[in-house]
Amino acid sequence: MNTIANEVQVQVRERSPLSIWRVLKNRWFLHAVSMIAFFAIWDYVAINRFLGSALARPYEVSLQLADMMVNPIAGKGLFGHIWASTQRILIGFAIGAVLATPLGLLMALNRYINAVVKPVFDLIKPMPPIAWISIAILWFGIGEPSKVFIIVIGTFVPCLLNAYNGVRLIEPQLYDVVRMLGGNRRDEILHVCFPAAFPAIFAGLQISLSAAWTCVLAAELVSARSGLGFITLLGMTLSRPALIVGGMVVIAIVAWLTTLLVTGLEKVLCPWKRELQTA
Amino acid sequence: MAYEEVKIKTPLLLRVLPVASILAFFGAWQLIISLGIIPTTMLASPSQVISIFIEKLSEPNPDGAVLWVHAWTSIQEAFTGYLLALLIGIPLGLLMGWFSVAEGLARPIFEIIRPIPPIAWIPLTIFWFGIGISGKVFIIWLGGIVPCVINSFAGVRMTNPTLIQMARTYGATDWQIFTKLCIPSALPMVFGALQIALAYCWTTLVAAELLAADTGLGYLITMGRRLAMPDLVVLGMIMVGLTGAVIGVVIDWVEKRLLAGIRR
Repeated sequence: MNTIANEVQVQVRERSPLSIWRVLKNRWFLHAVSMIAFFAIWDYVAINRFLGSALARPYEVSLQLADMMVNPIAGKGLFGHIWASTQRILIGFAIGAVLATPLGLLMALNRYINAVVKPVFDLIKPMPPIAWISIAILWFGIGEPSKVFIIVIGTFVPCLLNAYNGVRLIEPQLYDVVRMLGGNRRDEILHVCFPAAFPAIFAGLQISLSAAWTCVLAAELVSARSGLGFITLLGMTLSRPALIVGGMVVIAIVAWLTTLLVTGLEKVLCPWKRELQTA
Repeated sequence: MAYEEVKIKTPLLLRVLPVASILAFFGAWQLIISLGIIPTTMLASPSQVISIFIEKLSEPNPDGAVLWVHAWTSIQEAFTGYLLALLIGIPLGLLMGWFSVAEGLARPIFEIIRPIPPIAWIPLTIFWFGIGISGKVFIIWLGGIVPCVINSFAGVRMTNPTLIQMARTYGATDWQIFTKLCIPSALPMVFGALQIALAYCWTTLVAAELLAADTGLGYLITMGRRLAMPDLVVLGMIMVGLTGAVIGVVIDWVEKRLLAGIRR
């Protein structure tokens, strides 16, 4: 029983009798059915070789994963490769975010800076970061700097766009309130712009983190001696499908964990964000 | 006239600065190469890029095809993947949003596939499909389908519950509510997905072509690197950016036309 003001709401929970139809429509039952079907079809396709010899059975993939935990591949264990990719992402992401976010804020707050930077940014914006790989290799060789450079480019664009739009799309009433209360430009920026733009900036960081994942994989597929992209590519060169699929599984898990981490961080850092619950 | 129109004058400086900034950008780019600060083996000057652009319009060497053949191949691949992603992703997302059975069945598989970047599929698809068009279409499809499903799902979920309750009161069936109420109210979100998916498809296309192709703009960039011809690389990058921007503008225009009446 919940009491809101002087209104009393009584929650009634309906209990219909247990029937087969209700079990069939239960969400967890359906989830289980779909997972079992997914792995069964995968196994079936792999055994009957509908796609040539290029698909490993789920069982083989799990064996391969267990093997990777123990035996190093190309001089590095599984966690070494995960760390190699993560390290590149962290360095590139940090550089990109630190450069782009303040620039985006400055562009939104000062129209002269905007007039100088916006046209050049608009020229660079439509080029996918992956298109920079070749020029990065020409500039920096095939070592670490070229990979970090691509990640910087990949994180730069979404970070800058979100910081810029985050400030520009603030409701004008908020400024009016600060001015009515006697605030000056500095108060406007500190008490309105930053808190109001923060959710958008954070969303930009989330987008650029997933962009960074894509970039690091592309860079490692083109040229690398370590990292998760390298593992999948190695699987292709050695014709070992289990290694490819195993690499993809690890990529999915690590990418999922990073997303989880950033979402958790957001809840802690900006609790005033109101978001639509879709799930 | 009850009111007087107020004209806000933009300062002259604000109108000059954007032009000056673009000119300075290209000027500086040309200068650092002409003065030899960055050697021509690393970066091509704007004038070199323009000259190779004119040359590539008619000359298939050294990468095997003239420029518009590359561009056409890329556009073909991107659009096939994009259209397939729309055809499968949008109905799937809409159904998942309204019917709990569809969500229960499709959600876990979707959640498994979603965190894998489409680029990670490239080695596997080369195995499955070779380096022909079908493999690239598959990768582009994977890149485009995720935003389609998410946006149409969220669009249906955002339908005003009061309207649904009203429809129920008037005796509408589940299917009627879905077709008459949920789909129209999800349309703005679905159109948002069209743009996002296109951007994803275009990025994925370049990645797919970098690794496995024999024509296409991504292939042009790769060949430029292999032949150590920075002018070819820069030309490829500019063409990719330009084509992507043009397609984006076209989609934007189509969206405005179609949504003219129902924009919220």
